[in-house]
Amino acid sequence: MECVVQGIIETQHVEALEILLQGLCGVQRERLRIHELFLKNNPNLGTGSSEVRLLCDLEQTEPSWTVRHVGGAMRGAGADQISVLVRTMVESKVSKNVLRMFYVLGYRLDHELLRVGFSFQFNRGAQITVTVSSVNKMLKLHATDEAVPVTPGIQMVEVTAPASAENYTEVAAAVQSFCEYLAPLLHLSKPGVSTGVVPTAAAAAASLMSDGGGTPL
Amino acid sequence: MPVRWILHWQPNQGSSVNSHILNEISQCVDNFNGVKDGRWKATLTFYRPNLRDSSMAATEFPRDFIGISLMEVPNKYFFIIRGHKLVLEADSSILTIFEKLQSYKSKVALNFEGLQYKLGDFQVRLIKVVPNTAENLRGILMEIEYLPISSVEKAKPIIEEFVEIWREVLSKKSLHGQFMRAEPNFAEYGLADNYTWQHTAVQYAAALAQLIASVQSRN
Repeated sequence: MECVVQGIIETQHVEALEILLQGLCGVQRERLRIHELFLKNNPNLGTGSSEVRLLCDLEQTEPSWTVRHVGGAMRGAGADQISVLVRTMVESKVSKNVLRMFYVLGYRLDHELLRVGFSFQFNRGAQITVTVSSVNKMLKLHATDEAVPVTPGIQMVEVTAPASAENYTEVAAAVQSFCEYLAPLLHLSKPGVSTGVVPTAAAAAASLMSDGGGTPL
Repeated sequence: MPVRWILHWQPNQGSSVNSHILNEISQCVDNFNGVKDGRWKATLTFYRPNLRDSSMAATEFPRDFIGISLMEVPNKYFFIIRGHKLVLEADSSILTIFEKLQSYKSKVALNFEGLQYKLGDFQVRLIKVVPNTAENLRGILMEIEYLPISSVEKAKPIIEEFVEIWREVLSKKSLHGQFMRAEPNFAEYGLADNYTWQHTAVQYAAALAQLIASVQSRN
């Protein structure tokens, strides 16, 4: 399981967000370059439609592959009360021929994306990961070098933390309280609930840049 | 990791594998001053496509999709599709992902279990193949590991010699069969000369195919 919230930020404020995150987390950012392939099953295979993601980490010298399955969101009164989405998520690191295997098994490529940006990983009441990335699409199959932004000028921010059936309320609370620190720059909400950019972002970014980066604006 | 060879017991025409043969072979290992070095287990699972319309021909999906777990690396799982010369190494959480996808389901599982012996620089595993729901012996395998070398090519003459000695020892027992090796072409699976767990998985799948073929030819 994982707790997750998402938001968007204008690219011009990303540097300010990075300064804020750096100060909050106390760790160095890690560069992020991930090729994401979304696969769907053959319609005659399985009891319903099933989707699986293959992630190829292009930041490594030898690209490494992960299979990720994202399940349905937790439902019910308890889930409605928290502002963080709790969903099942399983990952498995795999060898590089995983795409070929899924093709042989009857899965087909639905679409692919390239995420480029950075991430912070730290512990703050939970093992939290913040990723800030631009989402790009490929004009030609697998051509990650020729990817173009899906939403130019806008980047995606995602905050996730692994959780279990026993501790998800505590983890959700930790994620939620962390998100409050980011509120002047961006608003984070459950995936699928679009909240847009926040009006205070420009002022907050200017203030951060002058404090953190010493850049006169 | 050290190179391993996996051999399967090929019964002579008209004879079959039985526990008497297994006992005789294990006695031979004992006589060789093999030091018992613990138990060993692997599980091979056959997966079948979970078809929505079962009347449809399943020809477009692989019928030789096998999963392998090895006791020595419990956090890993291996998939093999022999027809496509494909081997995949994954974290064992891949099993949870396949359960959620519901596109393939496990049909039959075979346990490969046995005793491990140390013979100088060699590690030998005498393995009986049994269904996971019954006790009847389906086959005998022998795994020979040469501990000092991890290059498939460099270890080859040394293990070959060891296997020859073994065959000679066993031939004196008149056991109506012998150990054979279905020599896999690792390069076809994209595997290099440096031995890995994926090489082991490929060899298990090859040995299993030989066991199935020998049972089918008897029937």
